[in-house]
Amino acid sequence: MGLNILVTVKFAPNAVDIEVKPDGSISLERAEWEISSFDLPAIEAAVRLAEATRGKVIALSVGPARINNSKLKKNVLSRGPDELVLVADDALAEADTAVTARVLALAAAKLAPFDLLLSGEGSADLYFQQVGLQLGERMGIPTLNAIRKIEVYGNHVVVERSLEDEIEVLEVPLPAALSVTTDIEQPRLPTMKEILKAGNKPVYEWSLTDLNLADLPGKVEVLHTMATPRVERKNIRLQGPTEEAVCELAGLLKKEGVL
Amino acid sequence: MDFRWSEEQELLLESLEELLKREAPESLMAELDAKKEFPDKPWQALADHGILGLGIPEEYGGAFTDIMTMTLVCQALGKHALPLGIIYSLGVITIRDILQFGSEEIKKEVLGGMIRGDAPVALGITEPQAGSDAAALKTTAEFDGDEVVFNGQKMYCTLSKQAKYILLMTRDQKSENPYESISMWLLPTETPGITFHLLNKVGWWTVPTYEVFIENVRVPKKNLVGEMNKGWPQLMANFEIERLALCAASVGAAEAAFEDAAAYANRRVQFGKPIGTFQAVQHIIVDMAVKIENMRNYIYKIAWMMDNDMPVRTEHAMCKLYVARASFEVIDSAMQILGGLGYMMDHRVQRLWRDIRLMRIGAGTDEIMYNIAGPQLLKKVR
Repeated sequence: MGLNILVTVKFAPNAVDIEVKPDGSISLERAEWEISSFDLPAIEAAVRLAEATRGKVIALSVGPARINNSKLKKNVLSRGPDELVLVADDALAEADTAVTARVLALAAAKLAPFDLLLSGEGSADLYFQQVGLQLGERMGIPTLNAIRKIEVYGNHVVVERSLEDEIEVLEVPLPAALSVTTDIEQPRLPTMKEILKAGNKPVYEWSLTDLNLADLPGKVEVLHTMATPRVERKNIRLQGPTEEAVCELAGLLKKEGVL
Repeated sequence: MDFRWSEEQELLLESLEELLKREAPESLMAELDAKKEFPDKPWQALADHGILGLGIPEEYGGAFTDIMTMTLVCQALGKHALPLGIIYSLGVITIRDILQFGSEEIKKEVLGGMIRGDAPVALGITEPQAGSDAAALKTTAEFDGDEVVFNGQKMYCTLSKQAKYILLMTRDQKSENPYESISMWLLPTETPGITFHLLNKVGWWTVPTYEVFIENVRVPKKNLVGEMNKGWPQLMANFEIERLALCAASVGAAEAAFEDAAAYANRRVQFGKPIGTFQAVQHIIVDMAVKIENMRNYIYKIAWMMDNDMPVRTEHAMCKLYVARASFEVIDSAMQILGGLGYMMDHRVQRLWRDIRLMRIGAGTDEIMYNIAGPQLLKKVR
């Protein structure tokens, strides 16, 4: 049976490009956007399952208008998915997990029927680890997180779920929504052939209206995003015999309230 | 002029850089250098990733690529793992020669193998008495029925023992004109009668070079590449792209040395402050950066000209001359900033310093580049 797999993909600013301004506020103006690193293993898992079962993978992403970017689209498709569906609207710029899951669920419903709905365990920027679970719940299908292995057996899958002290092995009927861990697969690196092919794969751009969403419900209002305060080093050098230096160090630490 | 890379080029380079971090980390390249071992695993990783098929037509299993993209790939290889850039560059000329002049059977066999990870076909030109004067060759090819028998000796034949084939240049000693008496052959390296003597070099330790002795070595006549006695123009046809590829790898090496030096200048504290705050060090850093920028512009221009079918005979020689010198100067400056640390065998910069020095000698010496460009330049102004 060829599995039809949907895999959710988030585009997020590259953390390396984040700038902390003198007032402690965070600027993403110069940040290049990329595929959330937690989604790369999910894409790889989806593509491998599809390859093994001669199935199909559709990548699905929602976010602000800037995700409708030619290079980002080619980047996703060069990693193996057959198609990409984008819901790109600036109304989704500050979308919280509930809004994101709602929009993804409406898009996924439009793409039904499918067998598997895979997500990364969290996102590279916010890492709430909620969207995959909320999405599965909204779709009304078995939903699990922390999945590190998936084996397909006809109309069900056997999955391994990483818990703190044990690995849970579960049989899950299809369709199912699974959030996968980063160790499920090592993401492939696209070759030139795959990169060139990506430009010819179908991309469907849907608006919120296409999903019958006239307006979005209230979202979390972000008041401030601040970097943790930077503390200047005191650059105190303790010299002299070790015993004296240790006593002096203890005294300084007490003075700072550390001890 | 548009200096931006295409999205496809950006994605390819991002993918390649990640691959090199995974498969050819600095620690591995340093270890292979110390052991003087060919980088088998990283080379195979490049093959598995399709990099070795770039520029080879799809019908032979490759992927079409323009010269600009190939140049960017060589530059990235040179920056992250210079030996891979060198090996890749050495393959560029033999791939082109075989593509352009080889029979269909040769193309399928040889190019297919190279795409799958064989070491590049080695180029057998230089002989003890024939270096820059390649037309002074003495290796012979004599027909005997359906076979041809080779006798002679090749010097500085890099990768000849690792490769499955040598692209062997022979000369008909009876002909007076050396330019119409040289032929190109595909010589399987496992043929009886070939012996290899490893040469001990200053650098390029993971890219071995041999003296090759050829005694009564027999191959089928069909191993002729191109036309009989047309080997010289065939050989000359693709030197330009080999030099460009080596230049690109050299630019990458200079970029790596620059990054090592700049990071050290920011980190190393002397007289109470980072040495990068001293004007003397900043001047060196800026001079290095200017040279790197010039080198980049030069190689990109040559690649662009070649992609647009423009002649580059003069320009490529001047580019090779400049890049071979400037890349060494940049790496030498990096060693100066690093001080004693850069002279230690544990540091990448000493390896780059040893490896890059050959660029002024290999693929045509500085002096030969002057010889190529000089007359052409004078012809342009009457």
